[in-house]
Amino acid sequence: MAEYETHEHDVLVIGAGGAGLRAAIESSAHGADTALICKSLLGKAHTVMAEGGIAAALGNVWPDDNWKVHFRDTMRGGKLLNNWRMAQIHAQEAPDRVLELEEWGALFDRTKDGLILQRDFGGHRYARLAHVGDRTGLEMIRTLQQHAVHKGITVYMECTLVSLLKDGDRVCGAFGYWRESGKFVVFKAKAVVLATGGIGKAWEFTSNSWEYTGDGVAMALEAGADLIDMECYQFHPTGMVWPHSVRGILVTESVRGDGGVLRNSSGRRFMFDYIPEFFKKETADSEAEADRWYTEKKNNRRPPELLPRDEVARAINSEVKAGRGSPHGGVFLDIATRRDPETIKRRLPSMYHQFKELADVDITTTPMEIGPTAHYMNGGVRVDGEGSATAVPGLFAAGEVAGGLHGANRLGGNSLSDLLVFGRRAGAYAADYAKSVKGPLPVAAGRLEALAREALAPFDPGGTENPYLLHQELQRTMQSDVGIIRTEHELRRAVEKIGELRARLKRVRVEGHRQFNPGWHLALDLRSLLVCAEAVARAAIERKESRGGHARDDHPKPDPAFAKVNMVVRKDGEALRVSAEPIGEMPAELKALLEG
Amino acid sequence: MVDRITVEVARYRPEKEAEPSFQAYEVPCRKDWVILDGLNHIKDHLDGTLSYRWSCRMGVCGSCGMTVNGEPKLTCATFLADYAPGPLRVEPLRNFPIIRDVIVDIDDFMQKLSAVKPWLIRDAEKPLAEGEYRQTPAQLDEYKQFSMCINCMLCYSACPVYGLDPEFIGPAAIALAQRYNLDSRDQGARQRDEVLSKHEGIWSCTFVGECTKVCPKHVDPAGAIQRYKLSSAMGSVKDFLMPWRGK
Repeated sequence: MAEYETHEHDVLVIGAGGAGLRAAIESSAHGADTALICKSLLGKAHTVMAEGGIAAALGNVWPDDNWKVHFRDTMRGGKLLNNWRMAQIHAQEAPDRVLELEEWGALFDRTKDGLILQRDFGGHRYARLAHVGDRTGLEMIRTLQQHAVHKGITVYMECTLVSLLKDGDRVCGAFGYWRESGKFVVFKAKAVVLATGGIGKAWEFTSNSWEYTGDGVAMALEAGADLIDMECYQFHPTGMVWPHSVRGILVTESVRGDGGVLRNSSGRRFMFDYIPEFFKKETADSEAEADRWYTEKKNNRRPPELLPRDEVARAINSEVKAGRGSPHGGVFLDIATRRDPETIKRRLPSMYHQFKELADVDITTTPMEIGPTAHYMNGGVRVDGEGSATAVPGLFAAGEVAGGLHGANRLGGNSLSDLLVFGRRAGAYAADYAKSVKGPLPVAAGRLEALAREALAPFDPGGTENPYLLHQELQRTMQSDVGIIRTEHELRRAVEKIGELRARLKRVRVEGHRQFNPGWHLALDLRSLLVCAEAVARAAIERKESRGGHARDDHPKPDPAFAKVNMVVRKDGEALRVSAEPIGEMPAELKALLEG
Repeated sequence: MVDRITVEVARYRPEKEAEPSFQAYEVPCRKDWVILDGLNHIKDHLDGTLSYRWSCRMGVCGSCGMTVNGEPKLTCATFLADYAPGPLRVEPLRNFPIIRDVIVDIDDFMQKLSAVKPWLIRDAEKPLAEGEYRQTPAQLDEYKQFSMCINCMLCYSACPVYGLDPEFIGPAAIALAQRYNLDSRDQGARQRDEVLSKHEGIWSCTFVGECTKVCPKHVDPAGAIQRYKLSSAMGSVKDFLMPWRGK
């Protein structure tokens, strides 16, 4: 047997964004020897790019706010597909997680009285997002990263894991490689927390960076975990559409939260034409009422620009299709005529610079051109609501990689709070679970050698496929056939194409050395990404209705038959199987919160 | 027909080369392309072995810093067309050991950052039930600027003192220390002082201000260093005159 570099810890946390860092901190605080794996460098994970804020019913700006309203907003935003227990825990615990972050040193914009300031966002009844300008994620990841270092957690950087290791049914570690040297490494652990984020690199226009290739989703599936709600992928309504080279980069929802409005080519605030029945009662039907709402919430309803993201993304898509779009195929996001330049620069400094530097547009005088961009996996690995445990003993999941909290559509701001609330819980439960595991952590004979052989296959002579071209073909397929609006015919075509790409990936060929070889890394990432893409497409075929992030042209309305089921994806040999499974009945006291 | 530009990229493959060398690639010089787009074009279409770090494409992760025609730059925020007709040279950030191609070793930088104890230090911890520490917008403005750092290391690459003396704790770490020292919630300035004053480096900073010039986030590390020196000197005077202070 070949010798591989091996590290052993009680708890292994894979992924070092907000969820992974928070999980590692908690696991370590529970006395577990904890290691944290970063695919890139510490502090560069996707959380750093989050802009708007952390949703938590602190009630600092609107004292009427409380967890019950936050719970209601989250459930309604998710079209009630959410794991209601997760939505409850999330709403109840988010305020303490924000206060804790503040206690660890995070800075926040403040009210005049020195309390944490909160801002408006789509789907939230009250101004609820704790934030600092439009770079909240940067502050959050710095605080967590420095706290983790302070607490002496072991951090392994630039390490990609390709497979979980199991001893019988339970997880006992993971196998991967150092990006820097290309050498293999084995981590043995009594419990593993997945915090690997999403799958956004499956689409052509995406706000996600190269890291988001679904490694955790694919590893969990392979190990025997279930995926849910994969069809409900979130397209953020406002990504940059121009210049082409930055297409997809996020334009924060804070622009609308702070008063920005959407206009079509004739200058019309078209969102008033797209208020769905489900949100009529809580949405303003005139510009005057919408504009009053920012300062007087009691007697006015929310502007339609602040409908949940799925609604806004579809509306933009319809305007563009109807020929009322902007020159580069988006619509206009206008804050210039709505707020004075000083306010815009103070509230949205990153957006101001982003447009100035990348598009040569001054957002204090000129509207932005924006359009939908692939952004967030609403579904993911199915977990238990209390402790973030997956179906595989010893395997936990938190953050974007985990499904349930957001149901069919996530509200803006609920991601950063999700990372903190369930990162902490996953870390605590994983540490406790690890204490119950005694004895060695054996790996089946030949398993590591087989994984190593598979991982090195792209270097074998004889392969002909270029990993970049395969990736490009996948992205085009997902963009055109598994986009915002879907039909059965296109989804089936996508499944077929993904199958073809999976076959061609077996013949992939990369050049050069194992040390820091981006072609090889992509060839390995593609194995995960293709599985994730297929899971989305297959689940999308089975949900023959439109709900949240999943919209079907051939089934344009929600169907009560699908209102209380999750689409569950499992692996069966090499094949993926989808089944509709009922969501547990909500207790009466929670149901009562949904009214009004 | 799109114009083209030649990019000379530093290549270093330690398994077969003793020294870095340059390799020239011709890439499209589109008006809206940043240098990172050019590098991605090389990686995806011309040479899949080129190694470099990048992530967010929006100037907030701080991964893609490189030396461009001699100056440290974030390649996701620097346009190719600004270097037309070329050729332009892309090299690793200076003052760091090179691992491969334009990838450098960042361990020393990471250690320096954590050495300044970048977290709130309090004499006693406050229970969460008491709510947040109060901090007015004016108190926030005192240190906010120093919190904008994205750890891109351009300031270390530009710093002549760090270049000569790797022991120097460096611009970003001092700005980070000041971010906490000036935070009204923090009580740890003395502890950080021990770290900052341990080494001569801070006094050898001649306020050339290269760090501030190259900072893509306008953190102004040079300003932080000057401010620290001033308060530290004042502190020494006070310690001399009032030895009971802070005991």
